[in-house]
Amino acid sequence: MKKIIIIMLALTTAVLYSCKKDLLDQKNPNTLTKQQFWKTEDDAQNGVNSIYAMFYQNGVWNRWIYFRLDLTSDEGFSNSPWIELGDWTRFQYVNYNFWEGNVNTWRDTYKAVFRCNQVLANVPNIQFADAVKKEKILAQAKFLRAFYYFYAAVLWENVPLVLQPSEPADLPQQNTVTEVFAQVVKDLNEAAAVLPDQWDNANVGRPTKGAAMALLGKTYMQQRKWAEAKTAFDYLVTGAGKGYYDLVDYKENFRATQENNKESVFEIQFSDANKTPEGDAPNSNMGSNRSQFFAPRSIGWSDGQARYWMVSEFKKEKTRDGKIDSRLRYSLFYPGLEADFGDKTYGRSWQWNADEAWFKKYSRDYYRNDEDYYNQVNNRVIRYADVLLMYAEALNELGQTSDAYPYVNRVRNRANMADLATAYPAIGNNKDLFRERLKTERMLELCGESVRWADLKRWGDLDTQQGVDKVAQRDPDFKNFIVGKSIRLPLPQLEVENNKNLKQNPGY
Amino acid sequence: MKNYLLQRQEAVAGIGILFRRKLLPVLGFTLLLLFFCVPGKAQNTTTITGKVMDQNGNPLPGAIVKLKNTTIGTMTGAEGNYSIQPLEPKGTLVFSMIGYTTQEIDISGRKTIDVKLTEESNALNEIVVVGYGTQLKKDLTGAISVVKASDVQKKQATTVAEALQGQASGIKVRGGGQPGSEAQIQIRGLKNLMDSNPLYVIDGLITSANRDFNPNDIESIQILKDASAAAIYGSRAASGVIIITTKKGKEGPLQIDFSGKTSVQTIPRYKLAGTEEFSKLNFMAYDNANVTRQKLDLSTNTDWQDAAFRTGNVQDYTASFSGGGKSSSFLVSAGYFGNKGTVISTGFDRYSLRVNTQGTKGIFSIGENLAITNSKRDEMSGNPIIDVIRLLPTIPVYNPANPGGYGYGDEAKARTFGTNPVAIADLEDRTNENQRIRGNVWAELKFLPELKYRLNLGYESSNDHYTYLRKRGNWTLNQPLDPAIANENRANFSTKLIEHTLTFNKELGKHTLNVIAGQSYQRDDYAQIWGTKRNLLVNPDGGYYNVLDQGNEGQLGGFKNRSDIISYFGRLEYNYADKYLVNGVMRRDGNSRFGPGYKWSNFPSVSAAWRISKEDFFKSSWINDLKLRASYGTLGSSNTDYYDYIGVINTFSTIAMGTDQHIEPGAIQVKLANDNLHWERLTQQNYGFDVSFLNNKLSVSSDYFIATTKDVLFGFPIALTTGNDGGNPRVNGVTLQNKGFEFSAAYREDSTPFKYSATANLTLLRNKVLDFGYNRNNTYVGNTITEVGQPIGMWYVLQTDGLFQNLDEVNNYKNAAGKVIQPGAKPGDIRFKDNDGDGQITNSDKVVVGSPWPKYELGLNLSGSYKGFELNMDWFGSFGAKVFNGPRSVMDRFDDNSNYRAGIQPWTPENPNTNVPRAYYGSTLNSRGDSDRWLENGSFFRLKYISLSYKVPESVVKKIGFQNARVTLSGQNLITFTKYTGLDPEFSNGSVFEKGYDFGAFPNLRMYSLGLQFGF
Repeated sequence: MKKIIIIMLALTTAVLYSCKKDLLDQKNPNTLTKQQFWKTEDDAQNGVNSIYAMFYQNGVWNRWIYFRLDLTSDEGFSNSPWIELGDWTRFQYVNYNFWEGNVNTWRDTYKAVFRCNQVLANVPNIQFADAVKKEKILAQAKFLRAFYYFYAAVLWENVPLVLQPSEPADLPQQNTVTEVFAQVVKDLNEAAAVLPDQWDNANVGRPTKGAAMALLGKTYMQQRKWAEAKTAFDYLVTGAGKGYYDLVDYKENFRATQENNKESVFEIQFSDANKTPEGDAPNSNMGSNRSQFFAPRSIGWSDGQARYWMVSEFKKEKTRDGKIDSRLRYSLFYPGLEADFGDKTYGRSWQWNADEAWFKKYSRDYYRNDEDYYNQVNNRVIRYADVLLMYAEALNELGQTSDAYPYVNRVRNRANMADLATAYPAIGNNKDLFRERLKTERMLELCGESVRWADLKRWGDLDTQQGVDKVAQRDPDFKNFIVGKSIRLPLPQLEVENNKNLKQNPGY
Repeated sequence: MKNYLLQRQEAVAGIGILFRRKLLPVLGFTLLLLFFCVPGKAQNTTTITGKVMDQNGNPLPGAIVKLKNTTIGTMTGAEGNYSIQPLEPKGTLVFSMIGYTTQEIDISGRKTIDVKLTEESNALNEIVVVGYGTQLKKDLTGAISVVKASDVQKKQATTVAEALQGQASGIKVRGGGQPGSEAQIQIRGLKNLMDSNPLYVIDGLITSANRDFNPNDIESIQILKDASAAAIYGSRAASGVIIITTKKGKEGPLQIDFSGKTSVQTIPRYKLAGTEEFSKLNFMAYDNANVTRQKLDLSTNTDWQDAAFRTGNVQDYTASFSGGGKSSSFLVSAGYFGNKGTVISTGFDRYSLRVNTQGTKGIFSIGENLAITNSKRDEMSGNPIIDVIRLLPTIPVYNPANPGGYGYGDEAKARTFGTNPVAIADLEDRTNENQRIRGNVWAELKFLPELKYRLNLGYESSNDHYTYLRKRGNWTLNQPLDPAIANENRANFSTKLIEHTLTFNKELGKHTLNVIAGQSYQRDDYAQIWGTKRNLLVNPDGGYYNVLDQGNEGQLGGFKNRSDIISYFGRLEYNYADKYLVNGVMRRDGNSRFGPGYKWSNFPSVSAAWRISKEDFFKSSWINDLKLRASYGTLGSSNTDYYDYIGVINTFSTIAMGTDQHIEPGAIQVKLANDNLHWERLTQQNYGFDVSFLNNKLSVSSDYFIATTKDVLFGFPIALTTGNDGGNPRVNGVTLQNKGFEFSAAYREDSTPFKYSATANLTLLRNKVLDFGYNRNNTYVGNTITEVGQPIGMWYVLQTDGLFQNLDEVNNYKNAAGKVIQPGAKPGDIRFKDNDGDGQITNSDKVVVGSPWPKYELGLNLSGSYKGFELNMDWFGSFGAKVFNGPRSVMDRFDDNSNYRAGIQPWTPENPNTNVPRAYYGSTLNSRGDSDRWLENGSFFRLKYISLSYKVPESVVKKIGFQNARVTLSGQNLITFTKYTGLDPEFSNGSVFEKGYDFGAFPNLRMYSLGLQFGF
């Protein structure tokens, strides 16, 4: 018995001794804490890289933003069997918390902003061997923050400007669309001052000075500040950056074969290396879902398709050698595609309705017969043709219509279309006629490239019932459009309810 | 602990036996002598004779028979006979015997009086395990419910929690149904927002009684409900504590017991339209919307419920072998539980083995409890409860034209993205297997009779293996064709527990003192590795080689977590003359899950009871025992993930960059964190009484409590503008209050040949948010609002006000300013209330329309037995909740294609007397999910369990060498009274803010079981 007592006492002493209080200081064995981070140049580089990873997330450029920018506009619509998804492309916003239509895009926009803000707040405190490298990292973050706020302003307009790293309790104040654009301009100016004209091969895909100037120009255009817009575009069109840009073989703007070519002003780098769903987990998808959602029925989800009026519009004017505008061939899948150009649709002859069309740009029909969630084709968010047409638009608005012609011609000629003045002599120097024609020119060149919604807003076509009625002739979804209300999305209702500083957009 | 319990039991029993067998005859004889010695007057006396027996008619020797208020008395002999001579043939005879209820009988001139004494209801002398010790039930000062093991084991349930429903007041159980599913259990309401389960303590090991645990091994269950009862578990106990003691061997030769149950299960079903009815309605919806009808395949009429559901069954067998000598005992129990699910391709198997042994030598005792289980669950894919209504009857189950060969939506013929449940069940295969060892070894030294030291070493380890196989093929329209994918993870969870306790126990006259002091250390570890491969190698004989060696595009990962808890605790119990009982507990906990400066906290509690019935002034012939109780205490909770208090960097993002599109890493903080996370503290007051009447036949217990949880740890919804992702960060944000009233009454009649008992448990509960995190006043989640001063998750929706019957009604529906409120509406559309009067229907018209919380819940257990037959019934009811019928919001809509409820009558000009709006394809206005159209009365009253059992008479049993044998026929969930139109009003939802939202929850099953028990 004594032995037992001794053994037990010894055991007790041993376990009591092992039970020290520092056992409670358990460190996370899985990853860095935020205190451990933001110390080295690599941390800064990885930090800014993570902002680019936001392009791959559902709410923004991986998937849903195309529903907002392409399908809501008069270029596209949804005939999805998922009625609520379709409702959000035709101004029937019932549940403002609809994740796919609204909340996801809002959340991912601010998720990207949070990343930018972390870089902008922390990188300045890091020692760099090369101060320029540091400035370039900060400039990228500013460009990307401006990029996300630009689209937030286009979609919801009156969004809060969050410019510091977030804390959980933050309930930011609301800002007006003017204030948001002002911040975008500020960030872009600061970014443009630092960003290089061109990156080395390893860094192609990061914004250049030209990208910043082009987005700056776009931002001014959206506010109808034509002179400032022209000045910004000058860098790319007539100024120091002119030599870096040109127009290329039209179809190479929408394929993975010649990415980051001379026409590319800013391009999202997609890759199919990770075939895992989107998100922040290891090996998350770096591709785009767009083609899986826009591909015709029985090939993709077919949640979005093109309005047929565009096919008709393409066919109104022949090329200089009397052929069909070849841009149609690379822009849309439509019933006559095989007859007109000998192209099948994903290897199939037309099996859809005679008045249907689907978006072809960024699809992989050029080399495969199906789609999936991992489309690697880069998205040319801003390409040079767009810049040229905006430049022409700015000149026209400034009353310099005759000066605008060469830029439109440059775009038209690439498609082997006659000079504008030749094809449409009636326009002359009439600003209004020129603007009207430019609207069509932009569609012919840029349809399905997510610029149309901002275009319609900028042109004021949605500011009057008369204007809306005209758009509704092309896209009957606009019959649901309510002037003064539908021009902007409702803010997610949960955000309005949970943040007393936010007011729902008017009319909602 | 168990050893301690046994000692106490033996001690109590021992005293009884000693009294009955030895002391009583001696005492009786002495008394008798005294009577004889007393010189009495020679008088004419009456002689009364009779026999004293127990309930079963066995003679009771040594019972005392006394003439009331006199010294005349006698004692029964060996055959229970007595003879007494009162002076007159009147007065009252008092029959008493220890362990039996005293009976008084009026002589009323009789000469022969036979008496059957009922064994004293031993409920009050029951031993209750209270955590690091035991108490007699009568000495309890806190709120503790004791549930009989037989009441748990009689039901066919996968987990203990599932079987506990309706067995005690103050507990709420929801869930179950799916093979291997684990029911949610709430003790005294929602104390925090994490919906955390109570703490399970099995044989002194802090663990969880999940599906790995065989309920047939249970010896006793106690539920510690108030702060003082649970306080000894301090920081672990805020959600209540369930203490389970498993069976032990008893002294005697080898005892073999077998219990087997086999059951069939059926799932409740919807009444859905067939092709004929469906097509009529679908065409109507398209016609009304002026959309070309789809080319429905009218030759197909699929009953998707037939395709996805089947009759399930359960096999549940346990055999145990136990025995022991004077100083040691053992029990070995082996079990198998197999459940073929009511949904195709689901199932659950559990193999369990338990070995409990213990021994004593002198002042030293040692013992162990060890359970080894293997459980494997074939998991459900998709949600067939919703899928069966989303698919149209015109879609065939199989369609060879589709990849994989299954039928689903079709653009021309059946426009729906509904999932084919048969396809997904086949094409996605998930299994989850756990191999668990759970047990403890303890040793005890009894230095002095009053003082003992105990060392308890606990260990639990679970090896988890999850597999996922995605076969090639599709289950829904337009789905991309994925390659075959295999995913597998293996993980290990382990808990190590070291506890020291010193117990001091002393009785000094009327003072009884019990003091416990202890220290414990627990360490939890979890680690996982996972891997996945795509494009698996096809096996020409069918299927795939789904090992991770095959396939390509492999990925792998892994992580590990650890947490440590150090605790010190002490308890003092003081009892004066069984009248005044005081109990004080102090616990100090430190937890690694909190940041520096926030790790430690103290949790004190105190409780007291006053047994009025023991007071001299208390004189009542019909109240046997009356005790008042009061307690006040603080408990804690560390509802956080492992390293929540510090923001981490997500290093997983990768980006493509450069002309070569090379991959570069990214790193950034994705999820926000609050670094000042600290203990959540629950303060609870409890006032109660226990009373027993009528010779302890009727016992009543009631409690009123106020529980306030401060600094509730919760992932409180934060603004999306923060850019946070990966879940809302935990914050000590909310103050919650639960006020409740519990009442339970039991009546038991054992003294008649027809024995019966009835127990009722009533629970009233109201929760209220007192204060919100981040200085907010409310939060909105889904269709609910939670506001300060109100219960959690009140329904906040648009109000409907019938249907427009004609255009005049539409045009006349104006606000005060004369604005037509729903100008676009047509006859047959829903009229919504314009509550803010702005002349349009917007989110600001939403109002609070009801509570998802029941006003009260009632459990009713009835049993009766006659000879060998026994009938048992458990009823459970929940009343006053308003619930959201999610499946109906799918069935009753016409805007999107899904199947319709059979017999639904949408509004038409010919049939205007209906509450279903007109059928209209393509517009969500009438079917919007945020209106009160989908809210229903969620009250129900249900026969949870009924059984008829027959105990084979011993004479028969013994002939075949058995000791006992019982056959039981039982049913579960056979009858339900409810107005709820969904599958099951007794559903569960994991979101605390949407407790009343039936999203298509897996329903409780109807079950018929045949059970057989025998021992030899």
